[in-house]
Amino acid sequence: MRNLILALAAATALTVPAKAQEVTVAVTAIVEHPALDAARDGVKEALAEAGYKEGENLTFLYESAQGNPGTAAQIARQFVGEEPSVIVPISTPSAQAVVSSTRDIPVVFTAVSDPLGAQLVKDMEKPGGNVTGISDMSPVADHVALIKEITPDAKSIGFIYNTAEANSVSTLAALKEEAAKAGLEVIESVATKSAEVQGATRALVGRADVLYIPTDNTIVSAFEAAVGVAEEAKLPLFAGDTDSVPRGALAALGFNYFDVGKQTGEVVVRVLKGEAPGDIPVKVAAGTDLVINKTAAEKMGVSFSDAVLSRATRVIE
Amino acid sequence: MIDLKNIHVTFGKGTPLQKEALKGVSLTIEQGSFVTVIGSNGAGKSTLLGVLAGDVLPNEGKVTVGTTDVTRKPTAARAGLVARVFQDPLTGSCGALSIEENLALAARRGERRGLAAALGPNRRERFRERVAELNLGLENRMKDRMDLLSGGQRQAVSLVMATLAGSEVLLLDEHTAALDPGMAEFIMKLTQRVVSERKLTTLMVTHSMRQALDFGHRTIMLHGGEIVLDVSGDNRKDLQVEDLIAMFRKMRGETLDDDALLIG
Amino acid sequence: MLSQIAFWGAVELGLVFAFVAIGVFLTFRVLDFPDLTVDGSFPLGAAVAAVLITTGFNPWLAAAIAMVAGALAGLVTAFLNVRFRILNLLASILTMIALFSVNLRVMGKPNVALINADTMLSPFFGLGLREVYVRPLFVGVLVVIAVILVWRFLESDAGLAMRATGANARMARAQGVDTRRQVYLGLALSNALVALGGALFAQTNGFADVTSGVGTIVVGLAAVIIGETLFGARGILLALIGCIVGSILYRIAIQLALSTDALGLKASDLNLVTAVLVAVALILPHLRRGGARS
Repeated sequence: MRNLILALAAATALTVPAKAQEVTVAVTAIVEHPALDAARDGVKEALAEAGYKEGENLTFLYESAQGNPGTAAQIARQFVGEEPSVIVPISTPSAQAVVSSTRDIPVVFTAVSDPLGAQLVKDMEKPGGNVTGISDMSPVADHVALIKEITPDAKSIGFIYNTAEANSVSTLAALKEEAAKAGLEVIESVATKSAEVQGATRALVGRADVLYIPTDNTIVSAFEAAVGVAEEAKLPLFAGDTDSVPRGALAALGFNYFDVGKQTGEVVVRVLKGEAPGDIPVKVAAGTDLVINKTAAEKMGVSFSDAVLSRATRVIE
Repeated sequence: MIDLKNIHVTFGKGTPLQKEALKGVSLTIEQGSFVTVIGSNGAGKSTLLGVLAGDVLPNEGKVTVGTTDVTRKPTAARAGLVARVFQDPLTGSCGALSIEENLALAARRGERRGLAAALGPNRRERFRERVAELNLGLENRMKDRMDLLSGGQRQAVSLVMATLAGSEVLLLDEHTAALDPGMAEFIMKLTQRVVSERKLTTLMVTHSMRQALDFGHRTIMLHGGEIVLDVSGDNRKDLQVEDLIAMFRKMRGETLDDDALLIG
Repeated sequence: MLSQIAFWGAVELGLVFAFVAIGVFLTFRVLDFPDLTVDGSFPLGAAVAAVLITTGFNPWLAAAIAMVAGALAGLVTAFLNVRFRILNLLASILTMIALFSVNLRVMGKPNVALINADTMLSPFFGLGLREVYVRPLFVGVLVVIAVILVWRFLESDAGLAMRATGANARMARAQGVDTRRQVYLGLALSNALVALGGALFAQTNGFADVTSGVGTIVVGLAAVIIGETLFGARGILLALIGCIVGSILYRIAIQLALSTDALGLKASDLNLVTAVLVAVALILPHLRRGGARS
């Protein structure tokens, strides 16, 4: 028995990279949210693939600020005080709290759509200092193309969002630009809390030809309310994140936040192996995939072309 | 001096509960005169006091205190002219503040309140002296919160507060009604002394016929929002409590339930 | 158990929120006016300061203007309450909700970064002391100044008028105090302090975010109440010191909850713990009062 354990241990040791020292990765998010949680799990997965396993050579810390920037600041200090190998803040306020708390500990942020505007880095190509990361700037141009492809007759896009969410506001600006290029009009509708989502969606009925919901925490939290209105009014509903498709969106070309997390984790591994964060360019997350929902399409009076069907990475019946 | 001209007060005007509390009351009280006011419940005593204090603004008529027309001035704006002691000891002073803080507050009545410390050494000493005059031992408890004092002690301090800032008029609103007899007597003696020392124009509302006749220079009786009796000088000297009670009975056309209350 | 950085971080944040606690003390305790405006005036202070600093204003001036903005927010609540007799709590909720939109307008976006900007603290970073200590020291000095000023004010003739207004408005009016004016003054002062707290939060943490107002009132109340529990009702100065100590202890409690599982507490339990703490503290005076009566 003992021999077996030893053998196993030896085998494990062989699969572990040469630099198998103990590392600590501290992850924090502003709030618990399916996408942000998936990103965290992706980071963990990438670390595991590189041989950093929890309970062996990896200490993996995680704290959520429960939506409170004050708590985010405290978590940042907590992590800085514990001097982990890398801190991974998920979302803009968490990243700002961490970046303003340390100039030494490597920081690899993720799920931040505008790292320059948030002053996390001064340059995307050459960040300098102790900070780099992955941006989840929405691939809005691709979204507009998808809308054109699936609903070619649409003239206007109804955009439902919370004005308080940084990502949604920057998505809106990008969407307006891309939509104008494609000859589409954008009609805004605001919900500042989840209880207002239904009303905000209803306000677009008769005014917009399709609906588009970005990766907005508020709106996504009450996604079903929007779906209900969309089905009732036979309005095609597109989502900014693929997780919303099983919940009733027609289609989404979004990030798989688990993949975003994995890409982030790969950067973390590079840092763990000795690369300076300041030398690693900030990349926009790749791997956008197409998820479509046939049931929703039927209810919203839309049918998918063969091209779309064959391109979809996942089809919900 | 106080001058009320044709004061009309109607509560709830235009509603089913409309009530005419004062029906054209005119009253002049000379400087330094002490007037007692009696009347049954609902006679208009409280309203009359309210009109003078500023809690009630009349629908018609003119109110002058000293040489100032205060008809339209709210309570706070005329507080410099009118000092007041309430029936409820809890109303007239601030339980959450100390004795000396209450006095400091009263000392600035009618003045601008600036950012200077409310309790400098000079003021503290002055307040102490004034409180010591009460002979209640409170001068050693100046930093105690007011709500640690008994009702009588609070009324005594309230009287000091009423006289700290020079005001034209002192309004006493049944200010002994909530006290036990011994304390009530003490407060009345104190009132008498304060009023005569400072020659204050005083209006005292009371439930007690005895008090009404024993104190002051003049007694008026209100009924149904009107002055039905106004006696002073020799006429008042001859007046007995029994006479007042008889008048009360006549006015109400009924016997009083509780003579004792009125005589006491 | 706590690292130096985590401990001094908690102290720093506690000191920043001490401004909120003092503001809440002025409304809830001195004026007896439950004012929720602070949930809006805290991020307002952060927003105004952050936007002004990014447009090149001197950070001290930016903080001063943030205070003015906070005072104006307080005046709006006072106006709704005094002029239109809207229930105090409701009036403050209306202002708070409105401020959410105002803050977005002020910033033009939900988040303004100050990470690379020169703040009030920047000149003190180069003096040889570690940032970890500079920040709480700097905020601490400001808090002490604020406490001294508020204390002197509350013990002045003007402050006495404000205290009387909250404790016994009828008596205050009889003593010539314009109680409506006191409500204006008190809410302006309170929200100016809260906005200064917001301005300092933005400068010490490198960002202003519209969501940073969430639960400000509860945190402020918790601090006031912890202070009262520790120091009792023994005068204004102790009550104000209690606000600071309470605010710091509150943050250290959160830090402990973050750093250890010993108490079985997670960061996600904090909202509940805080709510229970505040509820108990709100109930206690009633029980005590009931006890005194019987």
